[in-house]
Amino acid sequence: MSEQTTVEKFKYGLLKAIDVSGFKVFDPVVRLFFGEEPQKQVKDITRFMLMPIVFVFCCLVVWNFVAPRHKTKSGEVPTPAQVWTALNVNDTLHDRENEKESDFALSDEAREARIEEIKALVVEREKDSKRLKEELAIVEADVKEEKAAALEPLKKEYSDLKAAHKEARSNRKAEAEKLAEAVAEKAKTSEDLLVFLRESNELKDGEKAKEQILKDQIAEINNNKPKALQSAAMASDSMATEVQHLKKRLDYLTSGNRSLKVAKAKDSASTALETLESADSPAAILAAAKTVVKNEERASKIAKQEYPRASTIWFQMWRSLFTVFIGFILAAVFAIPIGIMCGLNRVAMACLTPIISIFKPVSPVVWLLIFQIVVGAFFPNPETHPFFVFLNSLPIVGWLNANPALIFSACTVAMCALWPALVNTALGVSSVENDHINVAKVLRLGLWSRLTKIIIPSSLPLVFAGLRISLGVGWMVLIAAEALSSSEGLGKYVWDQYQNGSSLTFANILLACFVIGIIGFFLDRIMIVLQRAVSFDDGAATV
Amino acid sequence: MTTPAMEIDAVDVGFGPPGQRTEVLADINLKVEKNEFVAIIGFSGSGKSTLMNLLAGIQPPSAGQVRMNGEPVMEPGPERGILFQNYSLLPWLSVFGNIDLAVKQVFPDKSAAERKDYIQGYIDMVSLTGSEWKKPAELSGGMRQRLSLARTLSMQPEVLLLDEPLSALDALTRSVLQDEIIRIWEEDRRTVIMITNDVDEAVLMADRIVALTPGPKATLGKSFPVTLERPRDRTTLNFNQEFIDLRNEVTKYMIGINEEAKKLRVSAELPLPDLMPVDFNSLEQKPRVAMTPDLKPGEGIRNQDAEDHELVGAANE
Repeated sequence: MSEQTTVEKFKYGLLKAIDVSGFKVFDPVVRLFFGEEPQKQVKDITRFMLMPIVFVFCCLVVWNFVAPRHKTKSGEVPTPAQVWTALNVNDTLHDRENEKESDFALSDEAREARIEEIKALVVEREKDSKRLKEELAIVEADVKEEKAAALEPLKKEYSDLKAAHKEARSNRKAEAEKLAEAVAEKAKTSEDLLVFLRESNELKDGEKAKEQILKDQIAEINNNKPKALQSAAMASDSMATEVQHLKKRLDYLTSGNRSLKVAKAKDSASTALETLESADSPAAILAAAKTVVKNEERASKIAKQEYPRASTIWFQMWRSLFTVFIGFILAAVFAIPIGIMCGLNRVAMACLTPIISIFKPVSPVVWLLIFQIVVGAFFPNPETHPFFVFLNSLPIVGWLNANPALIFSACTVAMCALWPALVNTALGVSSVENDHINVAKVLRLGLWSRLTKIIIPSSLPLVFAGLRISLGVGWMVLIAAEALSSSEGLGKYVWDQYQNGSSLTFANILLACFVIGIIGFFLDRIMIVLQRAVSFDDGAATV
Repeated sequence: MTTPAMEIDAVDVGFGPPGQRTEVLADINLKVEKNEFVAIIGFSGSGKSTLMNLLAGIQPPSAGQVRMNGEPVMEPGPERGILFQNYSLLPWLSVFGNIDLAVKQVFPDKSAAERKDYIQGYIDMVSLTGSEWKKPAELSGGMRQRLSLARTLSMQPEVLLLDEPLSALDALTRSVLQDEIIRIWEEDRRTVIMITNDVDEAVLMADRIVALTPGPKATLGKSFPVTLERPRDRTTLNFNQEFIDLRNEVTKYMIGINEEAKKLRVSAELPLPDLMPVDFNSLEQKPRVAMTPDLKPGEGIRNQDAEDHELVGAANE
């Protein structure tokens, strides 16, 4: 065997990394980069990369074509471009929350400097906003004029038609009266009158339909928003919101600022202290002392306050990830030891089989309600409960806001994710090869070494296969649980959007759909990598 | 007379519930002296692996006793190192790790450094130097069996049990490993019991060959001492008259017992009564009466008698 050069070592290392992470699609790209059989690689890239890209593009085109043609109660189905806009809007919202959060916590010179900065920005933006509004007004006027021009003949036609129809109706009415008279005089039969009335009703319907067509045309022109108007309105709106946001920031830098609030409370405390020292009557002393203590408490409370963030999609994403992680860990902590026990001992397996069989098919919704009640009973006052106070004092958990909803969502995830991991672990442990057991027997390994040196390593690939399924199930269950229970997370985001009904609602839901899907994909990939890392037989992991 | 290193005393092994028991081994008696190399030769399916499990202590006998140095064997242990037919390597451990697992367990007092040198010694002994950190999946069949051999030897077993150790290997690798096992055994003599289905291998390697008759109810047959000079050279041995004679003798004997067993098995087949299948379609109005049109009373019973006679005859031969 010839020695590998550094380049080759790097190349094969890279190829292996791609293979292990399950992104084998990129294999030919790497090989092509290193100049290995270019023709073959180009062929592979065309077949397995370009074709899928073209296919996905085709899907986008179909989506783009079909979506605006389907009108729903909450507006048109959004196009890919609208979903992209929704992404940007959500992203901006998130950034703005971050800005406000940092403003809120800012103090001293940094705060002063920031105020100056923002004030300058406000002036500038307000100018822009004014300009955009003017532009919008011009466009609006143009559009109005155009519309009026287009509408004038139609309206005239409509009123003419209406007048003509009115006349025709009154004519028919008179004729009908005449006929009735004739019937009374026995000059005509009543049948003739009935026929006439039926005919005139039909004529009336026809006239109404004609009027409706014109009416619709007029309404369409009225409702029509030209692209120019739309974009001008959007630009103006977004600039107005930007200005509003900057003003809000100024608020958080001045009156709403934490350091200022604290200073104010401390000020009141010191004033009260002065009053206390100068007071002479016992009642006044007591009152002043109370004020001092109250203000001191207030100051220390405010100093610990965090900015009350609005829940943006990215915040919800992190929260969901955290919840699923907790639930998954819970599931693994229970499933693996129980699974090992079941795999080792057939009596244990027999004991647990009825429980597994009965609870495995239970819907996550039921578990959610059960856990909601059970967890709720543990924490009657979650705000002050030491468990949550402790959790919220931790760095990341505090930011994500731990509350009973997090706990019962996580429990629901754990309950549903438990079964695949448990069953697979039991299977893995019970199907350790007889040869390996014989080795353990010959070596006279004790129970513990037998477990750690033979049984667990041998069953790890199956355990991880189970965990992978568990994580997938958990992620699916979590989103549904959040939507149902209003526990913060992507599920709640979707639910809130559904309830809100803004112009971006539908696009936001589709955006959340993609975010959920992409995260699910990456979670699965991570599990594949772990599974392959513990697999000793090649090709155990599949996509 | 000294106590034999390994002794099988009137052992029976059977499986299944009472009434339907399959006797795999019946009345096995074997004494193996210290440092003797015994080859047990038998056809496939004759219960060779059961015999090996019995010696290792993995399978308890239904009757009789397996003794090692006079002590009954109750459970498997490192003093009887067994080399499995399919290597039984742990695929998640490296070459070093596989041996290390055994060494750590058998010699818990060895320090890490001592252990490392010790293991390296065995890796070198089976010519696996350079593959210390490879996983079994990266090794060829021959290399895997070498590793298995190194692991078994590293436990320093008093008795080495080889369960068809080379039967999964190709002919060339097989002969290389045969030589290697012999070389290692000659350097460090110990009691070896090898099970094989290859007469040449048995004659080349063993001090004594014992035949295992085909199952069911397999038992040990004739024993052939191999008096060929050691070291035995496979290239010259092919022209050695003693080798050729012994090989022929063993082969002939094996074929003989196999024929005998076949005959037994053939006569054990029950002849079926000569009955015509009933064609229900051709029956007319009374199917129940027409069910047994050709069977006269007593005919089936007569056939049964004939078969009994045949069985007795075969047993008398």
